[in-house]
Amino acid sequence: MEVTSHRFRAAAAESLANTQLQRALARIPERFVAARARAAAEFGEFEQLRAAGAAIRERTLARLDVLLERFEAEAVRRGARVHWAVDAAEANRIVLDIARGHGVRRIVKSKSMVTEECALNDALETAGLEVLETDLGEYILQLARERPSHIIAPVIHKNREEVTELFSARHRRPRSTDIAALCQEAREILRPQFFAADMGITGANFLVAETGSVALFTNEGNGRLVTTLPRVHVAVAGIEKVVETLGELAALARLLPRSATGQAISNYFTLLTGVRGATESDGPEAFHIVLLDNGRSRLLGSELHPILRCIRCGACLNHCPVYQTVGGHAYGWVYPGPMGAVWTPALVGLERARELPEAATFCGQCQVACPVMIPLPDLLRRLRTRATAERLRPARERLALNLWGCAARHPRLYALLTALAARMLYRLGHRRGWVRRLPLAAGWTATRDFPAGEGRTAREVLRRERSG
Amino acid sequence: MSAREAILTRVRAATAGTRAPPAAEMIPRAAGTLTEDPLARFRRLAEASGSTLDEAASAAVPGCVAAYLKDAGLTHAAVVWPALAALPWTAAGIAAEARAPQTTDAIGITGAFCGIAETGTLLLLSAGDSPGATSLVPETHIALLPRERIVRDFEAAFARVHAERGALPRALAFISGPSRTADIEQTIVIGAHGPKRVHIILVG
Amino acid sequence: MRVGLFITCLADLLRPSLARAARTLLALTGAEVVVPRRQTCCGQPALNAGAPTAARTLALKLVREFADCDAVVLPSGSCAGTLRIHFPGLFTERPEAERRDIEALAARTHELAEFLERRLPEVPGRYAGRVTYHDSCSGLRELGVKQAPRALLARVPGLTLVEMANAEDCCGFGGTFALKYGAISAAICDRKCAAIRASGAGTVTGGDLGCLMHMAGRLQRTGDTTTRVLHWAELVAGTDGVQTWK
Repeated sequence: MEVTSHRFRAAAAESLANTQLQRALARIPERFVAARARAAAEFGEFEQLRAAGAAIRERTLARLDVLLERFEAEAVRRGARVHWAVDAAEANRIVLDIARGHGVRRIVKSKSMVTEECALNDALETAGLEVLETDLGEYILQLARERPSHIIAPVIHKNREEVTELFSARHRRPRSTDIAALCQEAREILRPQFFAADMGITGANFLVAETGSVALFTNEGNGRLVTTLPRVHVAVAGIEKVVETLGELAALARLLPRSATGQAISNYFTLLTGVRGATESDGPEAFHIVLLDNGRSRLLGSELHPILRCIRCGACLNHCPVYQTVGGHAYGWVYPGPMGAVWTPALVGLERARELPEAATFCGQCQVACPVMIPLPDLLRRLRTRATAERLRPARERLALNLWGCAARHPRLYALLTALAARMLYRLGHRRGWVRRLPLAAGWTATRDFPAGEGRTAREVLRRERSG
Repeated sequence: MSAREAILTRVRAATAGTRAPPAAEMIPRAAGTLTEDPLARFRRLAEASGSTLDEAASAAVPGCVAAYLKDAGLTHAAVVWPALAALPWTAAGIAAEARAPQTTDAIGITGAFCGIAETGTLLLLSAGDSPGATSLVPETHIALLPRERIVRDFEAAFARVHAERGALPRALAFISGPSRTADIEQTIVIGAHGPKRVHIILVG
Repeated sequence: MRVGLFITCLADLLRPSLARAARTLLALTGAEVVVPRRQTCCGQPALNAGAPTAARTLALKLVREFADCDAVVLPSGSCAGTLRIHFPGLFTERPEAERRDIEALAARTHELAEFLERRLPEVPGRYAGRVTYHDSCSGLRELGVKQAPRALLARVPGLTLVEMANAEDCCGFGGTFALKYGAISAAICDRKCAAIRASGAGTVTGGDLGCLMHMAGRLQRTGDTTTRVLHWAELVAGTDGVQTWK
């Protein structure tokens, strides 16, 4: 999928000017932040649960090779086929080969961020296959030919009127802007497609090593339909998604929905192991699991290692003041918000996403909300350090930092410069107490006044008081 | 080198020498999970997730289902799990067929392996006589849950599956209320692709 | 007890009245207060700009300047967090002697409200009006400063503390973020300004000058010339002669 993260600044400006988007984003605090807070409070020992979640994920990562091999062995023992893909292109090739091998023409999909990462739909459609997204949000995006702007609420940026337009253009049914009616319309349109499909594609919220199972958390029921009715099921999963035991899965099952939507549990938590039995009337005859690396193994043990704990709940997006203000598209790839500001440079390269680690206030809300305690601000700080070391920041920024550093190291020079600056600011703004335009700080004064100060630095004032 | 070897080689190199932190000693449960009466908690939370509940003695189940369908103004034609085909449905006025559901089927009647009090969740296991589609395709899902099969938490449910079935069945479906979506304007709508109604009858 | 006051660079340049208030309050605890003359900046901008080498240099400079102080006190949560939380992490791979010095500095670093809460015998300030407190992110989430400034403010005669909605939400300042992404920063601030106005308090206070000048500057630019903005220490020390930002 094309990376447009270098356009962050321009895209963010467009987001700020988009009043419809701003209205949509304004729903986040109540629908997600408050809902999560209520769920955590009702749970009780949520902080202990977060600590347990972090430990489980670290435990997994420390033995990832062993657990992946165990997962593979167990899954194969139960009749699944396990495939390994070094990168997105290989994953797409594998899925295409599976489809061809089973004579597949029609595919239904359940929401999966990892297949967005691979741009799998494009690859399958180019090869002449029919691919239909069945999660309501993803279906809307497929009609609109847009990307998700949130990892669990993909169409958060659209309002009902836009959905009405898309549906009436495609479905040729009576128009409605009633949300329930729109949902019913999608249900009726998509229902026959589940039965007609030859193959279902899903992601995987977790892989369980001891049983060779794929765990899915969904609310709409399309995830179950996609893995129950078609004769082939393909699950695509990042290699980091493995856990060892069902007990660990139970712990993460408590964390994920509460952190994502504030639900104590998703409507459907499904654990899939192996293929249809001889006496069964439904379930896939063939079950393929594609394990995707795509840069993840490089992160193991690196300075960004903790991001591999991520369980894709979206809490860091919901709690981020920047995400709440610009939405997901501005981030320019698949994963937005604080986790996206780490995942994107980690997977596509910092040089293509250098703006993202900068676009953070370091408020720390993401780290506090993260169910597996990823120190997101620290990871962003490490990326900033790397950007500086690799000279990826603009020359004027480096110059400013060097000049400031030089002054700060030399107290006399610093005293002189600050005394001059205090006087200059006072001259510029003492009448109102505020300066409206500062050429050297236009980034500030474009949107805010700058205080004029008192005309003296604090050290001058304190010294004078002491001697006087 | 195959992709498998390439990936595992890199992972092995990166994890070599790192020590795994110890397994968590105790995973917290939702407040009340270990102290509240499981049946009371199950009822409370199943209702909170949008299911409706009723109870019936074993022999009265078909009548109880019929009464629910009548009250709700629903058809009395249903698909049932083959495992439940032998119940006296016809006598209660229900046209029950033990087969795979089609899109036109409005009512699906299933059993349940157990209920989980922690979140008010049903656990259904797939098998030849308990197909997954029955709880999924029809708009109304009626689940018969023996009241002695309510366990406290997910760990207990997994332990019970292990004890009674050995290996995991192909599909474990943990169901908490009717399907829903909040994709449009973050407004919750009940009834997305799965059932619009989940009715649980506690049996026994 | 010998207490070193670290003024912080923003107060030095823009808010001498805060430095004066902090020194007054520290002196009331009975401690000997010193203000090392060679102090400049704690290095937080370097740390957050990804220049750890520059930040380390300034950290060691602080070690030397505050070597004879039993406590280092800062009227800023984010600067105190830099010394206490971030400095040690910058030195994990440095020689043991440096590490020891930095850890000793971190251990005796205090945010002003935390330091004063149990030590301040009397509150000199008087204030007539309703005041709302904004929890700045670093102080709150790195150091856990939440109750101490509120407790001090509650002791100011005439002052009524009212809580705004979402007091813990970021105001959008974020250090250099406020300069690099001014439009986003201001948009975040508009939510904070709305919460301040909705609280009905005519005055907003907080513990980090960066956030305060950001909120005050935005209020000013958007035509709100009545809401007053002050550091809580100024309210507690007394606002005679203090020019409030409004």
